[in-house]
Amino acid sequence: MSPDLRVSFAGVEFANPIMTASGCCGYGEELAKVYPLSKLGALVTKSVTLKPRLGHPPPRTAETASGMLNAIGLANVGIDCFITDKIPFLEKQKTRVIVNVAGSSLNEYVEVCGRLSDIARVDMIELNISCPNVDEGGMEFGADPVMTEKLVAAVKKVFPRPVIAKLSPNVTSIATIAAAAEQGGADALAVINSLVGTAIDVETWRPRLTYNKGGLTGAAIKPVALAMVNAVHEKCRLPIIGIGGISNGSDAVEFFLCGATAVQVGTALFIEPDVPVRMLGELKAYLKRKKLSSIGELTGKVRKY
Amino acid sequence: MTRPSCQDTLLIKKRDLKNNYFSATFRTYSRVDQCRPGQFVHIQIPSAEIYFRRAMSIAGVSSRRREIEVIFKVVGRGTRQLGNLHEKDRVNLLGPLGVPFRWPRKSETAVIVAGGVGFPPLLYLASEMVKRGHDPRRIEFFYGGRSSADLIERSRIRKLGVRFHPVTEDGSVGEKGLVTGPVEEFVRRAPNRHLRLYGCGPEGMLKATNELGVRLKVPGQISLEAPMPCGIGICLGCVVPLVGGGHARVCWDGPVFEIGEVAL
Repeated sequence: MSPDLRVSFAGVEFANPIMTASGCCGYGEELAKVYPLSKLGALVTKSVTLKPRLGHPPPRTAETASGMLNAIGLANVGIDCFITDKIPFLEKQKTRVIVNVAGSSLNEYVEVCGRLSDIARVDMIELNISCPNVDEGGMEFGADPVMTEKLVAAVKKVFPRPVIAKLSPNVTSIATIAAAAEQGGADALAVINSLVGTAIDVETWRPRLTYNKGGLTGAAIKPVALAMVNAVHEKCRLPIIGIGGISNGSDAVEFFLCGATAVQVGTALFIEPDVPVRMLGELKAYLKRKKLSSIGELTGKVRKY
Repeated sequence: MTRPSCQDTLLIKKRDLKNNYFSATFRTYSRVDQCRPGQFVHIQIPSAEIYFRRAMSIAGVSSRRREIEVIFKVVGRGTRQLGNLHEKDRVNLLGPLGVPFRWPRKSETAVIVAGGVGFPPLLYLASEMVKRGHDPRRIEFFYGGRSSADLIERSRIRKLGVRFHPVTEDGSVGEKGLVTGPVEEFVRRAPNRHLRLYGCGPEGMLKATNELGVRLKVPGQISLEAPMPCGIGICLGCVVPLVGGGHARVCWDGPVFEIGEVAL
């Protein structure tokens, strides 16, 4: 019998546990030219804000050891254009659609989520309360448990379907923020967003990013992400979507064992756009080899010392 | 547009073109027939030191042998590792990517402006134009560099039978000066001819070519270079400002842009 890759959480079923991470796949149009998006468990869009944003001036990415820094600055088309130009494309895709929402104030989050509430194609919202690359909002929300709870609760009032809170690793205790999101009514947690970092050109003494710092992603952050998924899983009963440096099936299994129900692939898409397709095969082979019938049999099963 | 794909190939020929320039030919590349001049391949460099792919414009393809050639100059970590590869090394290519050059009309004269490391896609362009039957006497190939060592693969341009105009800053070969000088002179002396500019090279040269096209109302295109993490328009790292406002992604909306389109 072929292993079953389907997973479900917050009352929504996904064809498989592999999603593309926000900010790493635009609104799906480009990846759809490489392979059908039906291969994905879900597509998580680039953050959408109330008004369009151009983002920071380049350079806004930099290569680092086994990873990258980015400070794109939430460049996006804004909610109006998203609804008129991007939703029609997403309507045709046979995958779950999770819209990532960012804002610089509580009202902005609520307004954007409200606009998405009657668009049935939007299966879930992922709240970006963890972007390190904007001066206002973003990480400021996700670093404060009181604000996190208030924001999630406010969004839950206007959006009738499940809401995911995407958490920042740049906090003293991620489990505390996770508990606050749960208290606010979040249906799931995405763990983690990028780690604040920077890199300097020693010839010019200039930071390699015009924002002077950025978010570190890629293989380099996987151990940090795993520890944080584990910490959240121990303290919180919400389903977890693991994110951070995942580039193959074995990486995903590590996240499942630490407590994740699904995973998101981000930076790895930049190197291998069809990495989710390869991972599906690797996950199937792994389950078969371990004589398991579903991903659920892995979640949280790490055998600790 | 063709579906880009990741594909393992072998480096089957590496040539040292001197002065830190190399030519690398990969086989078997199944997408040679989908490649167009101006497009690039995103090369995964098999080295633990390098995380991202490196974008290299296509310098030529052999349809029969399923080979693809890139020409590059060693300027940083990525190109150094690429230059260190050996024949028979396995290399993954993602492509073909990007917007290609537009063909000139039969009646038009192609004015090609190549500067230094911007030469490879224009070599491919000129070769394909000739192959598709564009009169080689209607191809003016201006090629500029610091000195003769920067003007690589000159024999390949000459073999095409196009009108070749080498230009060097030190005068060691061809006319002395910056390449855009003789280009402007040529354009000014050909007021009634239908011209189309094609430019690729360092930033200053591109700026001058772009400005020349706008000022003298000569249509054409320039090809830009930028560090590109993804190459397929999803990371938004390689953006350039547009004259009409907003950003364009060099990898996906370019690398070839119309003259006057980008705020250089």
